[in-house]
Amino acid sequence: MKWFMGLDIGSTASKGIITGNGRPPLYHRLPSKADYRAAAEALSSELLAKADLRRQDITATVITGHSAGDLPAKHRRIADIRCCARGIAHLFPQARTIIDVQAMSGRIIRLSAEGRVTDFISSELCAAGGGRFLEVMANILRVELDDIGPLSLKARKPVHFTTGCAVFAESEAISRVAEGAAKEDILAGVHQALADKLAALVERAGLEEGCALCGGGALDSGLIKAFQEKLGVNLLVPEQPQFVTALGAAIMAGETGRNEDKEQP
Amino acid sequence: MTEKKRPINRLKSMYPLRGLIDGMYRQGLSAAAEGKPVAWCMVNWWQGDPILKAMDVATIYPEDYGAVCAAFGAAQGYLERSAADGFPSHMCGYARNCLGYTGRMMDAGGIPEEAPMGGMPRPTLLLGSGSLCDARYKWFQSLGRYFDAPLWVLELPHPGVKEGLTPGAHETNISFIVAQLGEFVTFLENLLGKKMNRDRLDEITTDTVEMNNWWHKVNELRRARPGPMHSRDFWSSMPASLYMAADPGQTAGLYRRMYDEIKERVDNKVSAINTTEKYRLAFLELPPWHSLGFFDKLAERGWNFVIESWAYHPPRPIDLNGVTDPLERLARYSYHWLTGYYRQAYDAGEWWGYFAYPYLEYVRDYQCDGVVLHPLLSCRTATNHLTLVADRLMKKLKVPSLVIEGDIVDLKLFDPAGALTKAETFEETMDHYKKVRKEAGFSW
Repeated sequence: MKWFMGLDIGSTASKGIITGNGRPPLYHRLPSKADYRAAAEALSSELLAKADLRRQDITATVITGHSAGDLPAKHRRIADIRCCARGIAHLFPQARTIIDVQAMSGRIIRLSAEGRVTDFISSELCAAGGGRFLEVMANILRVELDDIGPLSLKARKPVHFTTGCAVFAESEAISRVAEGAAKEDILAGVHQALADKLAALVERAGLEEGCALCGGGALDSGLIKAFQEKLGVNLLVPEQPQFVTALGAAIMAGETGRNEDKEQP
Repeated sequence: MTEKKRPINRLKSMYPLRGLIDGMYRQGLSAAAEGKPVAWCMVNWWQGDPILKAMDVATIYPEDYGAVCAAFGAAQGYLERSAADGFPSHMCGYARNCLGYTGRMMDAGGIPEEAPMGGMPRPTLLLGSGSLCDARYKWFQSLGRYFDAPLWVLELPHPGVKEGLTPGAHETNISFIVAQLGEFVTFLENLLGKKMNRDRLDEITTDTVEMNNWWHKVNELRRARPGPMHSRDFWSSMPASLYMAADPGQTAGLYRRMYDEIKERVDNKVSAINTTEKYRLAFLELPPWHSLGFFDKLAERGWNFVIESWAYHPPRPIDLNGVTDPLERLARYSYHWLTGYYRQAYDAGEWWGYFAYPYLEYVRDYQCDGVVLHPLLSCRTATNHLTLVADRLMKKLKVPSLVIEGDIVDLKLFDPAGALTKAETFEETMDHYKKVRKEAGFSW
């Protein structure tokens, strides 16, 4: 009996997966709340409870994510970009390009048939390149984050944002609201702005089909549409896109095959 | 108790070279105290420094002082001061550090107490340079807000590769440089009220070329496997040449000692890192001076930085025999530093980017597995060619590049934890391209 755990401790949400013994992966997610150690402990405990397993049943754990560096080094840590590539390669063996829209940043990953990273670019120090941009805009428009995708798809005349900066775009969105622009049109403009920004990175990295979209941003149907229109490709979107990196971590835990999970994370 | 080895195996011969920079600041302070002339200079690639030395002017380089302040953790205060004076944060970090320092100096009525290395004394004159960097045109001019000092700007023509190879262009540019160096001498003679000793200039010029020839030989040895000298030693030793920190004859002797030490390492296959050399890398552009410990962490992973940006390297040797006028020798030498790769770039069909071409040679000759690009968020000159370099290295040599954004002075712009995460991922990329190069028939 071999079970493997992957923990992706992100800046806003922590995601975990247990795989093994031919069973479908078991998923769990909770907010990180800026206490990454507590989040990792809670995530691991709740995940084990969900799977009806004990800590000692886990053969190996890999921990990853934006905030994994803040945790004590009791598990093997692997860079989240590598885990993301492994996760996508597992789900879509034909994928050669990944657009990963996380809360803090967006990044483009090129990968080999084996799921190894052959190139990557990130949006770096810019809030307009990640999911946070969508959260800010949802907040301004007083729309639930889960609703912005369906609303955006109803747009008739998307607003064009003149800036690529999240702070200025926030002001611009407020101005458009004051001018009477429809929320749907503003949201479609937001999706186009984010897609434009990350598509420029795709161009730099080189787009090779198939192209997968993952991260929390891939839950947003408006963003998927914007990317597909901008890039002219059909994107491969996982059913649980926000768990891809955790899945890759669990897969890499399986590759290590070491039993190192005898302590609390 | 056994002493734990440090990740980077520093060269013993580096320390005296680094010490010359300390001496340069001390000499500046002594000269100011004795009422002797002191110049604040910009890096001018040996165009004007030998002339200042021949005129017994003590020299200090605010660009180097920016690196010093960053390394000592003193830069943030000067950056904040320059921001308070209205200089925007996207301006050159070295310039902002200098302007902030100068603001503090004028407030304090002398060198501010917190100034590292004893500080920079108020200058008698300013020597600017129009070479490479546009910010430098306005930076020294902006110092006029704080104090009055005469400013001379040396120009170095920057033709494109094709234009530089146009028949007659080379000699026209040399004549231009020689003429302006002559005018610079006249300016100094009028300012200081004395004549320049041309024999002394002749001697300094000869020693300068000799100094750089040894420095060049040092860097040639670094092609060896394992790489015998880490970039950190390069950056510590570079200012002795680039800023002509001491008498060039003395510096030449120290580079020769460094050559001997590295030769011994090469003969005995001693590495610059105390872990097995897994990856050989080039570092493009200046490093984050405030976070040099970052390279220790990479060395622990087996990353050996074996070469750096060509613009901070000495020119390849040039035959100046038969050129008797020292001003002409200086002109030919500094112009050669800039244009020394033009012919090869043109022949290789890489004529459109003289800034990028030398890296194709470096990465091939030093057999690099990867390149770390360090776009400096406050420096356009150091940044705008980097994506071109990455593109050419991939297309021509199948060598990947890692982008780590940061700044030479402003530590707020650098994310060491994020950079290390990227580094881990980049190892996978370098491994992939090792296989690709092998399949394509490359030798490394």
